[in-house]
Amino acid sequence: MTQVPLLSLLLFLPLIGAFLLLFLGRRDRPARIIALFIGLAETLLACSAWFCQVNLLPAAAPKGFFLFEDLPWIEMLGIRYTLGMDGISLLMVILTALVTVIAMLVSWRSIDERVSLHYLLLLAMESGIMGVFLSLDLFLFYLFWELMLIPMFFLIFIWGHGRNIYSAVKFFLFTLFGSLLMLLAIIAIYLIHGSQSGGVYSFGLAELLGTRFSLTTGLWLYAAFLLAFAVKFPIVPLHTWLPDAHTDAPTAGSVILAGLLLKTGAYGLIRFGFPLFPEAARTLTPLLIALAVTGIIYASWVAFAQKDMKRLVAYSSIGHMGFVALGIAVWTPVALSGAVLQMVNHGLTTTALFALVGMLDERAHTREIKDFGGLWGKIPIFSAFFMLFAMASAGLPGLNNFVGEFLVLIGSFKTAQLATVLAFIGIILPLVYTVRLVQEVIFQEERRSLPLSDLTLRELSILAGLALGDLYIGLHPAPLLEILKTPVALLTGGAP
Amino acid sequence: MTTTDIFIALPMLLPAIGALLTLLIGAVTRDDRAGTTIGVATTLAAALWLLQTPPAMVAPTLGLSAAPLPRLFGAFLALLAAGTLCLSHGYNRERGISGEEYPATVLFATFGMLSLTSATNLLTLFLGLEAMSFGFYILVAIDLKRATSGEAGLKYLLPGALSAAFLAFGIALLYCVSGTLSIHDALQLTLTGGRPDPVALAGWACFLAGIAFKLSLAPAHLWTPDVYQGAPAPVTAFLSAGSKGATVLLLLLLLPQATDAALLRVPLWGLAVISVIVGNLAALLQSRVRRLLAYSSIAQMGYVVIALISGRGGGYQAAAFYAIAYGVITLAAFGAITALERSGCGETLDDYRGLGSSRPFASGVLALAMFALAGIPPTAGFTGKFLIFTAAIRSGEIILAVIGILLAAVSVYYYLRIVIALYMGRPAQVPASGSRLMENVVLAVASFIIFFLGVWPAPLLEVLKQIFA
Repeated sequence: MTQVPLLSLLLFLPLIGAFLLLFLGRRDRPARIIALFIGLAETLLACSAWFCQVNLLPAAAPKGFFLFEDLPWIEMLGIRYTLGMDGISLLMVILTALVTVIAMLVSWRSIDERVSLHYLLLLAMESGIMGVFLSLDLFLFYLFWELMLIPMFFLIFIWGHGRNIYSAVKFFLFTLFGSLLMLLAIIAIYLIHGSQSGGVYSFGLAELLGTRFSLTTGLWLYAAFLLAFAVKFPIVPLHTWLPDAHTDAPTAGSVILAGLLLKTGAYGLIRFGFPLFPEAARTLTPLLIALAVTGIIYASWVAFAQKDMKRLVAYSSIGHMGFVALGIAVWTPVALSGAVLQMVNHGLTTTALFALVGMLDERAHTREIKDFGGLWGKIPIFSAFFMLFAMASAGLPGLNNFVGEFLVLIGSFKTAQLATVLAFIGIILPLVYTVRLVQEVIFQEERRSLPLSDLTLRELSILAGLALGDLYIGLHPAPLLEILKTPVALLTGGAP
Repeated sequence: MTTTDIFIALPMLLPAIGALLTLLIGAVTRDDRAGTTIGVATTLAAALWLLQTPPAMVAPTLGLSAAPLPRLFGAFLALLAAGTLCLSHGYNRERGISGEEYPATVLFATFGMLSLTSATNLLTLFLGLEAMSFGFYILVAIDLKRATSGEAGLKYLLPGALSAAFLAFGIALLYCVSGTLSIHDALQLTLTGGRPDPVALAGWACFLAGIAFKLSLAPAHLWTPDVYQGAPAPVTAFLSAGSKGATVLLLLLLLPQATDAALLRVPLWGLAVISVIVGNLAALLQSRVRRLLAYSSIAQMGYVVIALISGRGGGYQAAAFYAIAYGVITLAAFGAITALERSGCGETLDDYRGLGSSRPFASGVLALAMFALAGIPPTAGFTGKFLIFTAAIRSGEIILAVIGILLAAVSVYYYLRIVIALYMGRPAQVPASGSRLMENVVLAVASFIIFFLGVWPAPLLEVLKQIFA
């Protein structure tokens, strides 16, 4: 039906770009320009998918998907190359393309060693993440799920600082440990489905959805999935890798980690975890809600105590993802839309905050809050953006995060009142540490004279783009919610 | 001896003839280039012959078969030998290993492997296995200038001789019970699935003990680290890929023919679990790259045994796939080590620091091989592990699968240590010696196959499915 295999293009364009960079060797400038060009082309492609929503698809396509590609791959094992895009993946794909471009721009000056390798990894990672958001075959999904770890590992370890090796390995082992058990669970579903359908083995999500499990089996399998996703999320007892990874990663690494990788966990739960195991998911909902709320409050609490700005942002990021977890856990249409929207919001705002901290770090070579002060007088444009994004992160109405968190809270109040009330406290806590951060860094008297200069054009364009996104979603979220309506309704079992 | 017999035996004869020819030429010239050329030519010819000619019937007079599985593995092993010879040329020159005996011994070992793969008779099987092992006893110790090589040779020879005794005794006992040397009949009669005959039981115990040594399964693994470390790098590649590949094939020739292999489940279960645990945990503690890979190979063979236990659920295919994948991956890994050591790199992880920027190609291949061994997609290692775990779960071996996968997660740590060493810090002062064309070709082909089997395993799986159907 689709004449242009748009999804495959989205998937492979960055990989082709990465392949080109392989041959550039030490030529830095061309590497940067080619990578940025590919990144922009990818963004254009991702945005063009927005306009494909009217396309009619063959009957084979699952409901709610407006772009769909399905080819045999390893037929013997029932593995197919199935890609599909619905509203949720559309938003995630656009976010991925955007954040990758920002990661490229952020590292334009700060990376001057092994430049082409750096951009190669960014592009390879983009492909991997796109694959996660587009795959509708569990084998394919798992492939991309693991694939995206490798570039991130190298980003943290080669260009990181401080205890970069420790953090990179910790990141890799935590995420891999979770996902290997998921692999076993995937194989188990595949076999159970095969025996139920009389020998028709398949990894396709559409086929596997109808599989029935006994409650115990279902719980075990769901637990394996949940573990894999919860580590990425990160949901609180499994979060310890995140602050370390962020602290030691280069800015581009942090931007992708927070902006995109964390979303893959949430997306996996929405796309695979809940739909595949509805019964088990319902049984474990109280646990997930409890963990989400604990995460929201705990992360904010810890964020308050941080001295390093990047660590503070990292913890605030865990807190925000707690809202996403809550929205998914209660699984009502409103809360789920809120959760997906919050994923986008978090992607934009946290990316901006990490970029801002990175810019300060580049100039002053420190990220300690106590080293800064009085930025408002010295670098006003920077300070204005800093304020804006800090406020967005704290959930100021009119900016994007407010909308997402508000929807999650509305959606979850009916089913989980106590949790919602507690999570509401979680809205206030970020305000406390954000105000403190802004007050100390921007407004207080200057504590050390640091060589600070205001934003360059490149930095300005990064921040202005993100700020526009923040404002747009904050003031007019309707188009996004409209896109989410059908898939969310289908997922939660209502009429589209 | 009929023409059909010769047709079937030709792939074995080619390396044997090549070996003799090499020895003869050695009397005229001391340049080993001629030997290497002959070796590569004959092994490639053998591989081509095996791949091109149609499957023939059994040649009963020789006790050889030309069934699809032996031919597939024969071609694979012959190609491995060709790859090893290509890798060895530059390495040996730099290390001062000269003379025609090296290529001749490689060819002789190849001859043994090919006879082993096409055996239909327990005696041919044993002779092939011993011919192969003899080649390796010599090859491991061939670096006369280094004490470690001689030490490794002795450490390989003594337990090797013991294991050969076990194998021979096991075969003798099986013969006592079944009264036949034909593999098929002997298997049918000794693994009946009913109450086992005590003599058959003893026979299988001896047989498995011998095999466990060849596959370096714990607790018969103690020789592995020393041999991996002491032998010349290309020999280690050949030993790890070829000798183990051939031994896995041996099990694949035997087990599927049994009426009911349940008798072997318990000992194999134990071997698999101990190997996976001991290999992976001991590898964590190593600081020398080759010893680390030696322990990793113990663990990897443990995974193959998991597949063999789950034979009925598609495990035989998984084991065959994994043996091939593992062979290619270790060829790549030790090929890269060959290239690095040739230019004077030491053997500890610290010596590998920064090689990623001074020797990008070899380091890249080594890193790729490490990710493949760790089972990260899209590499052959991932597809192989995936098949193994699928087979294990399908056969109801859930505990085995969970133990295996948890330790696979542990193993990622030590594989990453090598990758980290390669790409961290300043490049060490390694005297850059020019890269060699043949070496690079082998590394490039191996890397390509690693990716190919990861992304498009369908053709090989299709072949294997037909074989085991």
